Amino acid sequence: MDTAYYLNLAFNGVVEGSIYALGALSITLVFGIARFPNAATGDVMTVGAFGGLAGTTLGGGVIGAILAGVAASAAVTVAFYYLLFRALAKRSAVASMIASIGLAFFLRAALGFFMGHDQRVYDLPLARATLVGPLRVQPADVQVMAAAAAALAVTFGLLHLTPIGRRMRAVADNPDLARASGINAGRVMVVMWLMAGALAGLAGVLLGVKTVVTPDMGWDLLLPAFAATILGTIGNPVGAVLGGLLIGVAQELSTPFVGFTYKIGVGFAVLLLMLMIRPQGLFARNALVR
Amino acid sequence: MDIYLLAVAVVTLTYMLMTFGLNLQYGFTGLINFGLVGFFAIGAYTSALLVMAGVPLLLGFAAAALLAALAAWPVALLSLRLRIEYFAIVMLGFSETIRLIITNERWLTGGVQGIPGIPSAAAALGITGVDPNLVTLALLVVAVGLVLAINWRLVNSPFGRMIQAIRDDEEAVRSLGKQPGRFKVAVFMVGSAFAGLSGAFYAHYITYITPEQFVPLLTFYVWVAMIFGGSGRVSGAAIGTIVLIGFLEGSRFLRDVVPGISEVEMASLRLGVVGVALMLLMRFRPDGILGARAGRA
Repeated sequence: MDTAYYLNLAFNGVVEGSIYALGALSITLVFGIARFPNAATGDVMTVGAFGGLAGTTLGGGVIGAILAGVAASAAVTVAFYYLLFRALAKRSAVASMIASIGLAFFLRAALGFFMGHDQRVYDLPLARATLVGPLRVQPADVQVMAAAAAALAVTFGLLHLTPIGRRMRAVADNPDLARASGINAGRVMVVMWLMAGALAGLAGVLLGVKTVVTPDMGWDLLLPAFAATILGTIGNPVGAVLGGLLIGVAQELSTPFVGFTYKIGVGFAVLLLMLMIRPQGLFARNALVR
Repeated sequence: MDIYLLAVAVVTLTYMLMTFGLNLQYGFTGLINFGLVGFFAIGAYTSALLVMAGVPLLLGFAAAALLAALAAWPVALLSLRLRIEYFAIVMLGFSETIRLIITNERWLTGGVQGIPGIPSAAAALGITGVDPNLVTLALLVVAVGLVLAINWRLVNSPFGRMIQAIRDDEEAVRSLGKQPGRFKVAVFMVGSAFAGLSGAFYAHYITYITPEQFVPLLTFYVWVAMIFGGSGRVSGAAIGTIVLIGFLEGSRFLRDVVPGISEVEMASLRLGVVGVALMLLMRFRPDGILGARAGRA
């Protein structure tokens, strides 16, 4: 009986963790290539969630929600690369970081102003949970995990199998050397922001499928996503995914002990512990430490 | 109208205490504090709880500043070990954790219901017959004067030259055989004490505090004020705060002029303006509207 309870918590943690993983992957791409922690990631997720809402309203179902949400978020990040972050690239990381907080506030304010603060849900058919052994599995959980897994596969495929992905990894490893070998940093940046926006947008849609859509929803994901990024070593995509899953499971398994309300604090505590014990992250190889 | 101006003056000086604290930390020393509101909250709850338990007001204020400084100490030690980007995220998490704690520890903080009926400064001092806000204002003028004096002494001393050197080139400071660590910790604690004192003034002015008042937006109000005036300039911090309050109060009047904007929409509008201000300032005037200070590249 008890084991089943903890198993279900852990399963929920994996589902939630795969959403954190997408957010962490977005943060780690920006950090690895544009070299600043993008505090707007959470609110870009919210944009994705609202985009997905438009997708389902037009009758597209889950697929329509995902396409619309991903498109909305990717459009926002690429637009703000041109409007804002491209010009700030020459300055210190602090300038971009403060600007990204401004962007986060701006996106949340725009959504709050035009869409109001009512809770919205996706217009998707309700479905009964099925029992898999002791696990209660909602169809939405399966959809979330399948979509996250597919996105991760596409991301890793892009990074490791395509020429632009190779260039992105080169810029992440050593920007000066990459430039010296004739890599067009501008194109790399545009593709990176497209990917970062798309991943955050997908995370937002999946969160919308699982819970409710509000203009404030993204903020609560920001800290766990950052925690996952740092836990898995900044700039390491595999680490971001594993970090996301770890944070998700840790948060869920902690709820019987610390209560539901301190859940977000658990992500922060994991982050702090990590930074104190192993500041370079769990999955750092010494050769890669800059 | 006089009553209104008095209230605006109180709010301006309360924010100014925080801006001076942040300016000391970031403007002069280069320490990023994205968790300012956490220290402000610690100060507010400390003084409110102590004074309501019968502790004299000035002791409550002192405890607010002291506790905020003590809370800053372990965080500052952490800053020595982390890259600035990591530290910024940790500070954001720190202030959100403080908010989680005051939301959840109902036995101490009243939880989401907060603490109502905090005595005003005048009531706590037993002063009657004058506008209580006038008493608050008088105390604030003294506090701001004190903070300015401390700030000025710190900045225009060997200590001040050291922290500005740390800000401009920490490696160079190290290569001269100086340890930046001690200085950073000291500045972080002093700046946080200012924020704690500010929180105490806020609690006794508003007389009712809830966790909802201590959101990260407040931290970035102060950031906008500091960057707007030009970080690393004491006069800039003062002017920036006045402009910030002008905007926050002005948006109140906008609501009277433009009909049909609800309070919720106005909150979104304020958030949006702060966001746009941060983006535009970083993009076009990172050294502030008044321009770059002398001596910084």
